[in-house]
Amino acid sequence: MDHKIGLACIIDDDSMYVNLVKRIVEAKNLCKNLMVFKNGKDALNYFEAILTNLDKKSIPEIIFLDLNMPIMDGWEFLENFTNIKNKLGKIITLYIVSSSINPVDIERAKNINSVKDYLIKPVTIEDLEAIFLKQIL
Amino acid sequence: MLQNELFNNVIRDFNAGYWELHNDPDKEIWSKKFYESLGYKLKELNPTIDHFLGSLIHKEDVDIFRDNFLNYKRNNVNFKQHIKIQTKTGNYKLFRCATNDELPVDIKSQINLIFFFEIKLEPEQNIAKDNFYYKETAQMTETGSWYVDFHKRKSYWDFETKRILEYPDDYVPSLKDSANYYAEDSQQKAADCFFNCAMAGTPFNTEIKMITSNKRVFWVRAIGKPVYNDNKEIIGIRGVFQDIDDIKKKELSLQKSIDIIASQNSRLFNFAHIVSHNLRSHTSNLSLLVQLIEDIKDPKEKIDLIKEIKHISYSLNTTIEHLNEIVAIHTNKDQEKKIIKFQDALNLVTNGIGQMIAIGKTKIESDFKDLKEINYIPAYLESILLNLITNAIKYKHPDRDAIIKIRAYKEEGKEYLMVTDNGRGIDMNLFKDKIFGMYKTFHYNKDAVGIGLFITKNQVESLDGKIRVESEVDKGTTFIIEF
Repeated sequence: MDHKIGLACIIDDDSMYVNLVKRIVEAKNLCKNLMVFKNGKDALNYFEAILTNLDKKSIPEIIFLDLNMPIMDGWEFLENFTNIKNKLGKIITLYIVSSSINPVDIERAKNINSVKDYLIKPVTIEDLEAIFLKQIL
Repeated sequence: MLQNELFNNVIRDFNAGYWELHNDPDKEIWSKKFYESLGYKLKELNPTIDHFLGSLIHKEDVDIFRDNFLNYKRNNVNFKQHIKIQTKTGNYKLFRCATNDELPVDIKSQINLIFFFEIKLEPEQNIAKDNFYYKETAQMTETGSWYVDFHKRKSYWDFETKRILEYPDDYVPSLKDSANYYAEDSQQKAADCFFNCAMAGTPFNTEIKMITSNKRVFWVRAIGKPVYNDNKEIIGIRGVFQDIDDIKKKELSLQKSIDIIASQNSRLFNFAHIVSHNLRSHTSNLSLLVQLIEDIKDPKEKIDLIKEIKHISYSLNTTIEHLNEIVAIHTNKDQEKKIIKFQDALNLVTNGIGQMIAIGKTKIESDFKDLKEINYIPAYLESILLNLITNAIKYKHPDRDAIIKIRAYKEEGKEYLMVTDNGRGIDMNLFKDKIFGMYKTFHYNKDAVGIGLFITKNQVESLDGKIRVESEVDKGTTFIIEF
């Protein structure tokens, strides 16, 4: 695949899940690079740093965001991210990937503009492939 | 005066004073009977409408009467109205006013008349009968009446008020010490109700605790409303006390059961949520892993992945253990409580983690002189102390040794334990709602698991206590447990 995604990003504190997604991405050759943050705060720090030194190559095209995380959870990250995302000068597609099946969470996510979709864990390999494919088309 | 004899007879039978209206507005004719009913002699007053409106009729009735009067005079529109008129002695009497259409048809007068029928109090017999019903009603509903007279500075209670407050029939209530008729924690409320009613005329209808002459506290519905004089000034408060002790006690015990059920329900819901969420994260990993194993062709990689199952299985076990611990709290809460000395529990805990304390150069200052012991489940007290102390050590400030102050004390009859550290603190703006949540960690520590405070909170609450936290970043954290 020539038009493969350059950079994808996972924000999730579950190292086992991250590890597995990494393997899938590698095995299926879904993107060139994958960056991982263990919580919202780490990810936010990264994006804020990019703002001061804009390098489009370091901005992921796609983000998979967990909700339940220590230090800064997914909601709080979203709040902050929405404020800075337009300044990044690049379209970023954001998916929430959570094990929460709470309808309140799902409804809340749907009402946030920057969220493309809400995926419930476990995600399947097909889901991931479809999402990456959609991104290129 | 009217000459018609028949008419005069009718008037006599009416037993009413009357006016004859004349074209000259200042020259009305008032009948002798009308003067008499107000206590005046014939022609002692100036029989003009202005004088009547200005000095005799009660202010409340002036406007309507004036309109009726003029309409009647000019347009012949008959009217009926109740009015109060001041007598010579200064009291007001109540009259029913009526006009010509009250006359028997066959003697229609050519002149416009206004009759004043005095409304007298009901006959003695009826009052006695009403009194009987009133007493019955009062006793059956346990409702006593009372009146507070501001001018005479006196309170009046009826027989039933005295009965429900357990005072003898000849008891004279005191206005000065009226606060003493209310339970201590209700005195302010009673004072507020009476004050607002007396000053602003606000009626009240409230449930309040009163106290009988035998010092028995009981629940009463107190209803009161202001009493006005003719100048619209508040001269007193009239109202009732109804004994609602039985109903109120049932209501309170019902409310208590509802509160307990609601809190248990909320804990159950919470627990179900925790179970679902925590197990899901492992099962979804497992499912993802299985997909990957099936998808990958290389046998060596497959075996690598199968090894991952071990990790998932280990995490799953840990989670189940945590969940078991929480279930245990709720099943163990019926364990026997014992009198435990705080010092003994603390010694046990510090001995167990002696190494941890020594490595961190932790100093523990305890003060149990205000409250030496408590009736509690020993294992819980130890677990609470252990969690709070290890937390304080784990999250000590990097620039200083940990000092942990532990104090037990009593305040307003309740027992408290306070654990204060000088650690790095928690940002309360960010984490206030999350501190006691499961798997919530606020620091970058590697060994932060996020289960300790969750368990502590569950232990405290399972025994109907409360725990709260105060913290400031870089200063330290204080946990306060109300047992």
